[in-house]
Amino acid sequence: MLNQVILQLLNGLVVGASLALVAAGLALLFGVLHIINFAQGDFFMMGGYAVWFTLNLTHNYVAAMVIGTLAIAIVGGLLLTAVIWPLLQRSQVLVLLATLGLSLILQQGATNVLGGDTKLVTPPLTLPVPIGPVLYPAYDLVVIAVGMGILVLGYFFLRYTRYGIWLRAVAQNRPMAAALGVPVPRVYILAFMVSSGLAAMAGGLLLPLQSVYPTIGNDVIADAFIIVVAGGLGNFRGAAIVALLVGEFQALGQLIPGIKPSVLTLILFGLVIILLMVRAQRQHSLVRL
Amino acid sequence: MLDVQDLHAFYGASHVVQGISFNVAQGEAVALVGRNGVGKTSTLKSLMGMETRTRGTIALEGTPLMGMASHVRAGRGLGYVPEERAVFPQMSVEENIRIGALLHRATNQKGVLDRAYDLFPILRERRTQLAGTLSGGQQKMLALARGIALQPKLLLVDEPTEGLMPANVELITHALLTATQQGMTVLVVDSSFDLLRTLCSRLYAMDRGVLVGTFAPADFSSPDELAATMLGETRE
Repeated sequence: MLNQVILQLLNGLVVGASLALVAAGLALLFGVLHIINFAQGDFFMMGGYAVWFTLNLTHNYVAAMVIGTLAIAIVGGLLLTAVIWPLLQRSQVLVLLATLGLSLILQQGATNVLGGDTKLVTPPLTLPVPIGPVLYPAYDLVVIAVGMGILVLGYFFLRYTRYGIWLRAVAQNRPMAAALGVPVPRVYILAFMVSSGLAAMAGGLLLPLQSVYPTIGNDVIADAFIIVVAGGLGNFRGAAIVALLVGEFQALGQLIPGIKPSVLTLILFGLVIILLMVRAQRQHSLVRL
Repeated sequence: MLDVQDLHAFYGASHVVQGISFNVAQGEAVALVGRNGVGKTSTLKSLMGMETRTRGTIALEGTPLMGMASHVRAGRGLGYVPEERAVFPQMSVEENIRIGALLHRATNQKGVLDRAYDLFPILRERRTQLAGTLSGGQQKMLALARGIALQPKLLLVDEPTEGLMPANVELITHALLTATQQGMTVLVVDSSFDLLRTLCSRLYAMDRGVLVGTFAPADFSSPDELAATMLGETRE
């Protein structure tokens, strides 16, 4: 039983770390632009395909990850800029619909171009690593380490770097940040790129574990929204922490006999609703650390 | 330094600034005075590029600014201290000052911080405190210190003393006076008799979106006389 618990704890960290990357990007975007991006899951999907495609060309997983993530960060940044920028001064509903439309286009485009089948690659590391009494796949540990590392870097980026400080300033008071000379359009584009890049990195990291197919973004985005809402919209650190908790909840829940994954999801939704009801209503539309 | 010709601004269906023209010379401190709602704040926001519907001509040192975004105008030398406490509440005092300072080279960033802290030493003591937890007066000081420390060519200051206790009004007035004595040009909107008399060389009176007169602070011997002008009783 102890082995099972340790195993599921580690599995939870793998799921949580990758979910945290998607959700942190979603939270970041909401904090800066006050919009919810329905296409975030599709950048996860595009990241998976980009890494799969680059891997077939280079046969080097690290290179594929770096190139794939950067490519989708740039493409995603440009797509979001093209779709959202003209609508910034308009109703938020239009922006929601635009990102929903972008999501549908990306999914259909992926199906038409790449087919509806799943693409799978073998993990670049297959050695089992002993962790206490269990042997755990080395690649899964890499996913945990990279996911956690990126989140920590993201925290320090927002806390100490020039663009991190400007991102938080724009999130809190865009006109005043501009009046102080902050190049607001550049900050927006950076937020688009970082957000898309985080999702793409998660998609690439999970490629050897769960494959990629055109609608995989739909599976991811539901969990990501739960996490962002529970963590506090725009709250980068809250989203990361809740993502890890959700990963652990789903993994450890499987240890309970007779509980199906769908029931766990229902319980999770219930817990989030209770959390929202209990939590005092506060302003969350800020990028917070 | 600043030359404004036939400036118009619209807010929704309202024509809030109706073709005003004025200028501010290098190193001068000039005020816009008038009742609430006559278009003073809209004028400052129009100069800063924060009003979306404007027309006319704005030139800073001969460079046309109309059509430029706020951050570009800031880069050309305009500074802005708004009426409301426009600090970034979830960021520390030091981060609030650094937002604008980050546009400068690293060596100059410390200079910006030092200048802000020298103006109001209380800010140095509270540099790690979240700006949103400062008192109202301290938030005003932070916003003004941030604006002055960036050393813009022209600083637009909107109601810096509104709602402040007399001791803080004195501090704010002294900070603006020091800035002008060091060569900064200031366009201020305020109703404090002491501030206007101490700081400004000229007052432009506004009423219902237009300029209705130009005065010297010495034209007014008491706050009541000034208030009468602000209420629209323009004098010959």
